[in-house]
Amino acid sequence: MRKKWRWPLAGFVLGGLVGATVLTVNVVGASSPERADVRAGGFGEILHTPVLLARAGQPVELSYDVVCGALKDEPTSHCAPSGSVYVRPAGGSTFSRMPLEREADGLLSAVVPATDARAGFDYYVAIDNRRGRTAILPEAGAAAPQHVWLLQDWATVDVGAARFGRSRTPSSVVRGFAWGRGDAAIGLDSGREQSRIGPSAFDVAPDGSVVVLDQVNHRLVVLRRGAEAEHLPIDFSGGEGDLAVGGDGTIYVLDSSARPVLRAFTAAGAPIAAGRLAESTADMVRMGPSGPLVHSYPSEMWLPTGAARPPVAPGRQLASAQSARTVRGGLGVVVHASPSEVKLALVRGDRVEHAWMLRGETRFGEVQLAEPYGNGMVVVVRLWNEKHAEFRVLRLAPAGLVQSFDLTPAEWAESGSLSRFRLHGSTLYQLRSDPSGISIAEFEIGGTT
Amino acid sequence: MRRGLATGMLAGLVLGLLVIGTPAGAYHTHFQYGCNDTFYNHDPVSRADARDYAYIAAAEGYQWAGGCWNGNNVDDSPGDPVQDPNTLGEGGDCSGFTFKSWWERAETGDPWFRYHAWMQNVHGPYSAADFKAGAGASNVTVAKASTTYMDAFAASSHIGMIYWANTAYNQDRIIEAKCEACGTGTWPRTYRGNPDYSGVRRLYWAG
Repeated sequence: MRKKWRWPLAGFVLGGLVGATVLTVNVVGASSPERADVRAGGFGEILHTPVLLARAGQPVELSYDVVCGALKDEPTSHCAPSGSVYVRPAGGSTFSRMPLEREADGLLSAVVPATDARAGFDYYVAIDNRRGRTAILPEAGAAAPQHVWLLQDWATVDVGAARFGRSRTPSSVVRGFAWGRGDAAIGLDSGREQSRIGPSAFDVAPDGSVVVLDQVNHRLVVLRRGAEAEHLPIDFSGGEGDLAVGGDGTIYVLDSSARPVLRAFTAAGAPIAAGRLAESTADMVRMGPSGPLVHSYPSEMWLPTGAARPPVAPGRQLASAQSARTVRGGLGVVVHASPSEVKLALVRGDRVEHAWMLRGETRFGEVQLAEPYGNGMVVVVRLWNEKHAEFRVLRLAPAGLVQSFDLTPAEWAESGSLSRFRLHGSTLYQLRSDPSGISIAEFEIGGTT
Repeated sequence: MRRGLATGMLAGLVLGLLVIGTPAGAYHTHFQYGCNDTFYNHDPVSRADARDYAYIAAAEGYQWAGGCWNGNNVDDSPGDPVQDPNTLGEGGDCSGFTFKSWWERAETGDPWFRYHAWMQNVHGPYSAADFKAGAGASNVTVAKASTTYMDAFAASSHIGMIYWANTAYNQDRIIEAKCEACGTGTWPRTYRGNPDYSGVRRLYWAG
């Protein structure tokens, strides 16, 4: 009896030890600080806000800053980067090199001399961090450079002062949800020492149904008029994202995790494809004529990810990146805003079709929405001071302002940063939240779309 | 003999994986077991130095009340139960990350600088609400309109530092420990115009 069990018992003990060893090695390996330091050994990052829209006949300053990757975990002084900007007239084939100069504020800059050329110019930058690393922005360099449109004419729009607290009430409310996890609820991720995050985004499908990204509960919520809300479970790994619905009903979900991913789902929620984005940060997905476009950083360009399966590979995304967001009819939308001025343009290739310059007495915040509307645009921009904020909705015709009204921010819970509004036909939709839950509100714009 | 040995090994392997693996998997990586308490008092550093330091934590994890990361660009403890410091995951929370990135000292009356090793497991004495109020000798509140990079926007439960101000859509790229599912990273945000947020500044930068 003893002999009979000797070998099985020895095997049992040996097997147990092997299992425990494998687990220990894996757990310790996963948490070890000795793993490869990818970011620590890298270049760092070039920081730059693209100029996009500049007044013709004036010099254009291109400014850059650099975040330096650390070599090791010890106090290290900032690196001393240097580099050059490469510039060519739009339509040209040869780039001219312009060395970057260090400004008193630490920024690196170059000034492109004034030109009256209507087509604008292209540029990219190459920077050496003097620690043995170089980087190019945009990453594809000469193959897909930044573009600057030169404005000859524009309509100046004085939006006046903010009217905090005097907001338009919704024409109607599509649906409201309380916070929670059940079928009649929408997810809220909140707690001490972290953001209070609600649903990241929504979009309106061609049939008028509203699709909400309830990423906290890892699902899409589809709202059809007169029907119960439908829940479609999806994979989602990050904390926030964005969403766009294509003309064929395909739902594109931007998962803004540490490595952003764009996922595609059928209208019924079945996964179609998922593809990694070429850049490290992304905030918007919008539908272009040939598929989804993702606005990403540090380039601030629009990357096409392709409607087909498999998605466009990261290298091709970079090589096809555009400074303007391509929309219907061969037009592009270009936005460049600052606290004192908002520049907007509809462009066709290198040519500016219409441009607007918004000014006001109250500081501008972010441009939440800028969509073609008739032969002009509908724009939603934040106005704010230290204690108050509102959204100003503007309907712009080529000659100037046609209509405007104000909306309360209703941003108790955080959404994707530029995902609070969508335009469908002549209706503006707003994702609103308060301590009780969320609602999707509708506002009729009027005029001709 | 061989069959008996093989059968016994298989049974042992299965039992070993089940008995040890199940609780280990449920309790995640214990990342903080590899952390340390390394720090150096330091002369004042520049905002650029501080941003370089903070950048190392981008793409690392978020851990409520946590404080250490390894700079490998991976959240080594994803999906921990939230609001539980006993999960011992990677990363800081929003206020702890700000404390380390601002090279602050734990002594609230001492405004000078201290280098905290990435792997030093320290949170610091301030919550987001404390920063919002300008608590501590090194911190003050400022108007949001006058902020610059490596200043911060703080609400009662969250704080994030300005990584790069004024994008084309007029957002700010913020570097922040955001939430367990988000991790730590740089994202465009609209905190500047949100009345829930106030401007906060660390004093005494070298430049």
